[in-house]
Amino acid sequence: MLKRSLSHLAWILAVICSTAVMAAPPVGAGDSPLAPSETRAWLMRIHDAASHQNFQGTFVVSAGGAVSSSRIAHFCVGASQFERIESLDGQMRRVFRHDDVVHTLWPQSRVALVEQRNMFATFPALLHKGDDRIASFYDVNSQGTQRMAGRDADVLLLRPKDSLRYGYRLWADRGTGLLLRVEVLGGRGEVLESSAFSDLSIGVKAQTDSVLLPMKKLDGYRIVNPALTPTRLDAEGWTLRQGVPGFEQVSCVRRPLTGMTDGDDDAAAQVLQAIYSDGLTHVSVFIEPYDPARHLRGLQAASGATQTLMRRLGNWWVTVIGDVPAATLQQFANALEYRK
Amino acid sequence: MLNGSGDGTRALQGLSALVDGELDPAATRQACAQWQGNATARASWHAYHLIGDVMRSDDLASDAAHDAGFLQALRIRLAAEPVVLAPQRVEAPTGEEAASERRAALRGRWSWLGQAAVAAGFMAVASALVLTRGNAPLQGASDSLAESAARGNPVLAAARPMPAAASTSIANATGEAQTIVVDGKLLRDARLERYFAAHAQFDGSSALGVPSGFLRAATTQAPER
Repeated sequence: MLKRSLSHLAWILAVICSTAVMAAPPVGAGDSPLAPSETRAWLMRIHDAASHQNFQGTFVVSAGGAVSSSRIAHFCVGASQFERIESLDGQMRRVFRHDDVVHTLWPQSRVALVEQRNMFATFPALLHKGDDRIASFYDVNSQGTQRMAGRDADVLLLRPKDSLRYGYRLWADRGTGLLLRVEVLGGRGEVLESSAFSDLSIGVKAQTDSVLLPMKKLDGYRIVNPALTPTRLDAEGWTLRQGVPGFEQVSCVRRPLTGMTDGDDDAAAQVLQAIYSDGLTHVSVFIEPYDPARHLRGLQAASGATQTLMRRLGNWWVTVIGDVPAATLQQFANALEYRK
Repeated sequence: MLNGSGDGTRALQGLSALVDGELDPAATRQACAQWQGNATARASWHAYHLIGDVMRSDDLASDAAHDAGFLQALRIRLAAEPVVLAPQRVEAPTGEEAASERRAALRGRWSWLGQAAVAAGFMAVASALVLTRGNAPLQGASDSLAESAARGNPVLAAARPMPAAASTSIANATGEAQTIVVDGKLLRDARLERYFAAHAQFDGSSALGVPSGFLRAATTQAPER
């Protein structure tokens, strides 16, 4: 009996502790709304910190009932960026990035995914256009300062002005502007997903060899290199009849979905992927020919902040994914039309 | 009573060994079956634990009423908490004796679990996964989801609000649809993972800069290979 009481207590405490970890910080009375120009200045500061600071630490993502963590090192030398990420959970995985070239290595199965990600430049363009899209679709409030990962952080709350997107709470390092923590907030202010540094050293010495050398040593690895071919939605015969407010197409490619295993019959199948961004989050629309053998049923799923919608559209199979409410994905899927 | 004094002694020895964590799975099943159907065995089971507790520490030998009072107060407080999800009755998979034993144990001694599950629900709100789907399963892992739902295994109430219109239009587009809520980890469908990975490839297009989206994706979004 006594022992059980103790185990009950431990159980309850565990529940309370984990709830406390996920709980949002109190919304202070001292919230102060930011003008669009201030918002832009804040976001530029956050963005610049990522392209000028050297840092390393442990990054923890909590979403969809799963917690994942990784060791991260990030170096900036001149205009170049170097990143080394080592997953701490599950199968060993290492990610190396040199600017827009990304290698993901699975040392056990000797598979290397080599990707060219030319979209990293997208964002400043969005900001510099000066259309203040973020300020148009989010109310931005300063929530004072808090301590986070051992550092003083400014807290920003971005509340969506419509129901088409989620809210965000950001913790930016006071000294550098580096983002220390991001929470994605649902319609009722609940935390859907949280990404944060649990420990962080800013201003470390750049060790670019720790990124560059492993990227050159791919001997013995099976290299998977999905080729992304730029295209246009209308050139492929598709149109989005009615745009979703705030979201603009930032990219459109024809690509394979990289297979999981050798001899994966879908790996070679090409899909069309259109990417829409509202400046803070993005939505992918995948279109491929309908195949009754592979596309069994429509589906709608949510995991953490990420929603997924799959459905058949005539002779086509449509998959929409994004960190937005399910109704937003519906709007995308409903607006798609084939005109060839 | 247990069957015969010889059997009874052996059974009690089994329970004692179970308390000490020394039984193999088969013997554990047997001991649990006896424990479940026999009041004397249950009393002995309690006594063994109490003896063990007292031997381990004098602190554990405090007035039992104190703990009972604490638990009672805790139950009342938990019951007053808003219910964000409603755990359903646990049904055993057919022919699985072990599961049946677990269920019996849950209903009996672990009735507090239901209330604790309500508290756990607050976490589940953030972590639950909602699936609305047609009447045939997606390949792979999702099969087990459909089976799970069909059997009435713990299927949590929709913890995240799903617009009714959204579900309806899916239903219209794909036939009969059902909503299943499970833990995110169960969804390890290889096909879906590939879309996630392709989607994550564009995480850099956020105002928050490369670290937020890219680090997040690199930390979480990677199918096993």
